Amino acid sequence: MTESIRLAILGCGAITRSEHIPAVSAHPGVHLVALVDTDLARANALIQNRGLSCKAVADYREVLGQVDAVINALPNHLHVSSNTDCLRAGVHVLCEKPLAITAAEARSCTEFADEKKLVLAVGMNRRFAASHPLLKLVIEEGLLGSIQDYDFQYGGAFDWRSASGFYFDRAKAGGGALVDFGVHMLDSVIDWFGPVSAFDYQDDDWGSGIEANLFLDVKHAGRFGDDAAISTQPSALTKGIPGHLRISRTFTLKNRILVRGSAASAEISVQDPEVVVIHRVLGGALVSETLRLENFPGGSSYWRQLDNFVQSIANRSKPEVDGWQAVRVLELIENCYAHKQRIAEPWAEVGAESGADSGTKSGRKSGTTTGTASGTATVTAAVTTNGGART
Amino acid sequence: MNWRNETVFVTGATGFIGGRVCERMMQAGAPQIKVRALVHGMHRAPRIARMPVELCPGDLLERGSLRQALGEAKVVIHCGLGPASSIVQGTENMLAVAHEAGVKRFIHVSTAAIYGITPPPGSESEDAPLRRTGDAYCDNKAAAERVVLDYGKRGLPVVILRPSIVWGPYSTWSTRLMDDLRAGRVAFIEGGRGACNTTYVDNLIDAMILGLENDRALNQAFFITDGERVSWGDFIRAHMALLEPPPEVREISQAEIEASRGRSSGLLLGSMKAAGRVARSKEFRQMLMQIPLTEAAMKKAWNWITSLPPEKRERLRARFGVRRAAPKSANAKFIPDEVTEATQSTTVFFSIEKARKMLGYEPRVRFTDGMRLVEQWLRYAAYL
Repeated sequence: MTESIRLAILGCGAITRSEHIPAVSAHPGVHLVALVDTDLARANALIQNRGLSCKAVADYREVLGQVDAVINALPNHLHVSSNTDCLRAGVHVLCEKPLAITAAEARSCTEFADEKKLVLAVGMNRRFAASHPLLKLVIEEGLLGSIQDYDFQYGGAFDWRSASGFYFDRAKAGGGALVDFGVHMLDSVIDWFGPVSAFDYQDDDWGSGIEANLFLDVKHAGRFGDDAAISTQPSALTKGIPGHLRISRTFTLKNRILVRGSAASAEISVQDPEVVVIHRVLGGALVSETLRLENFPGGSSYWRQLDNFVQSIANRSKPEVDGWQAVRVLELIENCYAHKQRIAEPWAEVGAESGADSGTKSGRKSGTTTGTASGTATVTAAVTTNGGART
Repeated sequence: MNWRNETVFVTGATGFIGGRVCERMMQAGAPQIKVRALVHGMHRAPRIARMPVELCPGDLLERGSLRQALGEAKVVIHCGLGPASSIVQGTENMLAVAHEAGVKRFIHVSTAAIYGITPPPGSESEDAPLRRTGDAYCDNKAAAERVVLDYGKRGLPVVILRPSIVWGPYSTWSTRLMDDLRAGRVAFIEGGRGACNTTYVDNLIDAMILGLENDRALNQAFFITDGERVSWGDFIRAHMALLEPPPEVREISQAEIEASRGRSSGLLLGSMKAAGRVARSKEFRQMLMQIPLTEAAMKKAWNWITSLPPEKRERLRARFGVRRAAPKSANAKFIPDEVTEATQSTTVFFSIEKARKMLGYEPRVRFTDGMRLVEQWLRYAAYL
């Protein structure tokens, strides 16, 4: 690299404090020019606290002539307008996920970046954990045999101390657990298994709220599945590699992906996202081995993500995660929301006083929807059950 | 009064009881009902953020924030505790703000534990005299009731409910018991004879709704339970039955517990050292809002811990690893800790006759039905 990139960070919330500032401080190729936050006191406090030599600015537009690139960590609903302003000023953007609230906005933003020939990278830090490329190798090199399915769970008590508290506002966050954690998980599985051709989606939004729990079954029709056209409708899940995703902001789940193949299974746990564990049967005994990538760069996944951004700018190359990849994930999320079903909560029906019959099985409903699924998500009024003795 | 066209303000809304109150209000009054939820820690709100509930940031210890959060609401359901050492202050603040706003009904969620962690014989009915128990949580909750009644005399329409072991989906009574059963940390104390006084969360909320509707309830306190003589043994066995293979739970007498404790007993966390460990933890300091770590702070931490409801103390202990471990050898018996022993040793089954007569309360969810729902929920919540 010849000269260092002048950078500003937009938004001084939780992710900037915990990840972006340490990554930027540790990278020799970038020079931090400014921290931007409408709350100047917050930006100044952070500068003091971390001993930074940059300035604090309330409006990002003030720094656009002085920087080559920005990391955009503003609340979700502000991403598109600020990205567009930056790109218009000739500034490269690494935008925190999700790139936009809607797929259409993400698309226009990405088209604009292409038109301006600037780098628009999307913050998908999990792609930069060693296990991500490693699992790709494991799948592609046939270590698991033919892929049968996968189970991907992520859940725990929500504990993200957002500075602006935009998380529970659908207009500002774009959704709940699916947008928050789901973008990462869907981005990963699409990169591993190919585009999603069919899905069945259920969540626990009672209406006008945001979901805390969801079940998403998908089929991947990509390199490893059928070459069916990418569907934007839920459909019978008959083709491709089946995947089962479950996300929760209220319950602790297994927090891992387990990919089952005919010869072996592969597991990535959130506890150690740098390794892939292979499980197989050897002479009747269950054995496991831990795979690790040799010569993988050190630092946090956020540092590697920043490094990839810097290299893309210097080499005029595509970043690991560009806007188009974010668009396809957001399109899928939009389709999920448009065709959602409500998770049955029979325990919640006790005490309800009137209404139509609703689901009787707890948790996820069985069976799959077909292409004719109604796209509306009404709040199912609960039924009176004396003691709810319904199974 | 007709509360269904009112805006309902719920404190403690991110907790187990308050969360269910929000759900029930939505079910009872949607679409015209409006619910405003007092939220102290926004990160605890995912459960209620699923509904069209207004999330109102605020703190029971700041009247200004309560005024703003209360908004136009004329009905208050007070499930919140606030910082545990300030149960009385938090309740008084809420009462004062409700009174000046002309609130038409104030449901105060008290507890049968005002008679102690081990309510003595004679405390079966609401007119039993209260005495100091020496337990900060119990005594503070009793003091809070007195403040509620004061405001009742000054014209605020108040109703006091005294549930006992409130259980159901999302309750840590069940989730912790499942964890403990799996870890071999459960015993039948004196054969599990102790009175459990289960109060299924929806039964409690039925009583709240009756309290809103029934003017005879004003300025009165009511025990609210499931009205069934469920013992701790019954409660534990119902949870054991959900596990495959069924865990082994042995009986232990109080004499054996006493003998095993020796002279170091009495302190609720086992030792001051453990309290110090809790006090130094990041999580605890966040909870207590950054107290400096001095001797005084340790003392404060200690007071704080002993002022928590038993359920919370247990959770804290579980989290900081200061709970009694399962016995190492197969022959050794698990010795329950002091709070568990005290909680499971009462012989008193609280009477719900007053609630039946004056409120028209009749518990709708029977123990076996409630257990079935808890089982379904535990499966959904990935506990089974």
